[in-house]
Amino acid sequence: MRARDLVYETASALDANRGRSLLTVLGIVIGISAVIAMTALIGGIKQTLMGELGLNQARMVSMYAYPNREVTLDDLDRLAELMPEYECLTAATYGAAEAKSETKTFTPTVIGVLPSYFEVMGLDPVEGSLFTQRDQDSGALVVVLDKGSVKELYGNPDEPVVGKTISLNNVSYAVVGVIESGSVMMGGSGMLYIPFSTCGARITGSMSVNDFSGLAREGTDMEAITETTKAALVSYFQLDGDDEENVYVMTMQSVMDELDSMMASFQLMMTSVASISLLVGGIGIMNMMLTNVTERIREIGLRKALGARSSDITKQFLLESVCLCLAGGVIGIVLGYLGSFALTGFAGGLVQTGSAPATVTPVIDAQAVGIATGICVLIGVAFGYYPARRAAKLDPVESLHYQ
Amino acid sequence: MAPVIDIRGVHRIYESAAGYMHALRGVSLQVERGELLCIMGPSGSGKSTLMNTLGCLDTPTSGTYLLEGVDVSMLDDDELAELRATRLGFVFQSFNLLPRATVMRNVTLPLVYSDCPVSERRVRASRALAAVSLPEQYFDHRSNELSGGQMQRVAIARALVNDPAVILADEPTGNLDSATGEMVLRTFRTLRDEGKTIVLITHDPEVARWADRTVHIRDGRLLTDEQERALLAADPTTRSAT
Repeated sequence: MRARDLVYETASALDANRGRSLLTVLGIVIGISAVIAMTALIGGIKQTLMGELGLNQARMVSMYAYPNREVTLDDLDRLAELMPEYECLTAATYGAAEAKSETKTFTPTVIGVLPSYFEVMGLDPVEGSLFTQRDQDSGALVVVLDKGSVKELYGNPDEPVVGKTISLNNVSYAVVGVIESGSVMMGGSGMLYIPFSTCGARITGSMSVNDFSGLAREGTDMEAITETTKAALVSYFQLDGDDEENVYVMTMQSVMDELDSMMASFQLMMTSVASISLLVGGIGIMNMMLTNVTERIREIGLRKALGARSSDITKQFLLESVCLCLAGGVIGIVLGYLGSFALTGFAGGLVQTGSAPATVTPVIDAQAVGIATGICVLIGVAFGYYPARRAAKLDPVESLHYQ
Repeated sequence: MAPVIDIRGVHRIYESAAGYMHALRGVSLQVERGELLCIMGPSGSGKSTLMNTLGCLDTPTSGTYLLEGVDVSMLDDDELAELRATRLGFVFQSFNLLPRATVMRNVTLPLVYSDCPVSERRVRASRALAAVSLPEQYFDHRSNELSGGQMQRVAIARALVNDPAVILADEPTGNLDSATGEMVLRTFRTLRDEGKTIVLITHDPEVARWADRTVHIRDGRLLTDEQERALLAADPTTRSAT
């Protein structure tokens, strides 16, 4: 029996049972849709985050060291000398204050930052400008808002606010610039940035540094720099390097890894939905193939009388169930991809950037499609084999006289 | 020349829940090339079992069967399948055509299993259909659109298409009215005249009149015409069974 004949037989058999075939593959369709929608969404979320992160952030390293003393800007300068692999080190300090515009009040996180902070974080102003060294040196009363805090203070994140004045703990600050909100991964939205010196003097009351961030030089191995930075911090601050509580170094890569583990529960849920419906779908396929074999007993007997080998019959029915599953898979891939667009709102919420949910565009990759196709073939073979063997083992004499 | 079919001392015993069924009891039969042989017998006489044995669909419990000199008991399932595909043609009482497939597809079906190149198939099928005088306009009709006589001629063409050694026909006229049946039998006669070997199985004496030779089967044993007449003369009640 030639491949061409096999294909012809399969096509005409499936064509004869179009409605029933379509209903039977529903389980497969649902299972594959779930798999594809899930991978497309996760791919989309990752891509969105990558895009949002920008180029600099791939080189950004966050460092947390907690020695038993205050960490100051002098430490920062010495660390910069110790770690020449960094283009630039910057520091931030965190405080809280009551912020007021003419109409509204809220209590944001106030971050005191060095002027280099925005560059290291890869943040550009969407309006106005950022801090200068002079602001830092003079402890200027200037503030940079993110879109989230603009929304909190003025109700509308796109309100032009540069040049306006807000008050922090009843001291007036001039708004000099607005930046995009960071995502959840970046510490969330609703942040207020003021110069480090201003923050130390007026909000936190101390010149100590809460965390450092560094911008590695281009072409640096980000895996290796995590280790060397950690070692440098341990030796500089004379810390117990084994204690995670004392020192912690994080690159964007490790943030991505964390995102992966956060996605794992979502992925697990979708995978179980998918596997259950694939299992049920497979049983449905087997059921239909058994019905098919019973309905076609006379035809099978005839084919055997006309010279079909058992293997020809096995092949014919096996290919039929594989094609059935593949058809289900193709429909599932298309539906899953379309369905993932419907779910972008939900996914956007996960990576919300402040005021507006991020726009996540589902990403479908060849690997996911390949795996889904492979699963379909596997199900077709696994659940089609028993009916096909049953057909092949039929006795030609009995089947020819079967009523 | 060796006979096309040569069976000697064939027994076939079925084992079933009801016990053993001795369907063939030492049957010996030779069929020469170009012969139109009729095997007659009442239902339950073992004629279907004999037909299945001749068609290599069933294997004898004991005895030998040589088809064109080949001992079929030595062949495995795949070789038997190949034999059925290339050396044997079947015609059934109920036609057994694929109802949704075209006439052409039905006739080419055995070619699918005998590894015939796709390009040759239509030519061979057309030749076989011409041999049973089916007009060309029907070739692409679906087989369930044909009349009974046409369907049986398509089935004969299907049996012919691989140019087999023997055509086995099991009650080929059983589902046809007598005029159509006669047309089908005339087709067999024509094929016999062209040198085909044909074995007809029937319980109808009218059909048997078309054969070159008739053997009778009764309770799993073969009888010649003379023995059959003697049997009937001795015990006229057995006639009712035919």
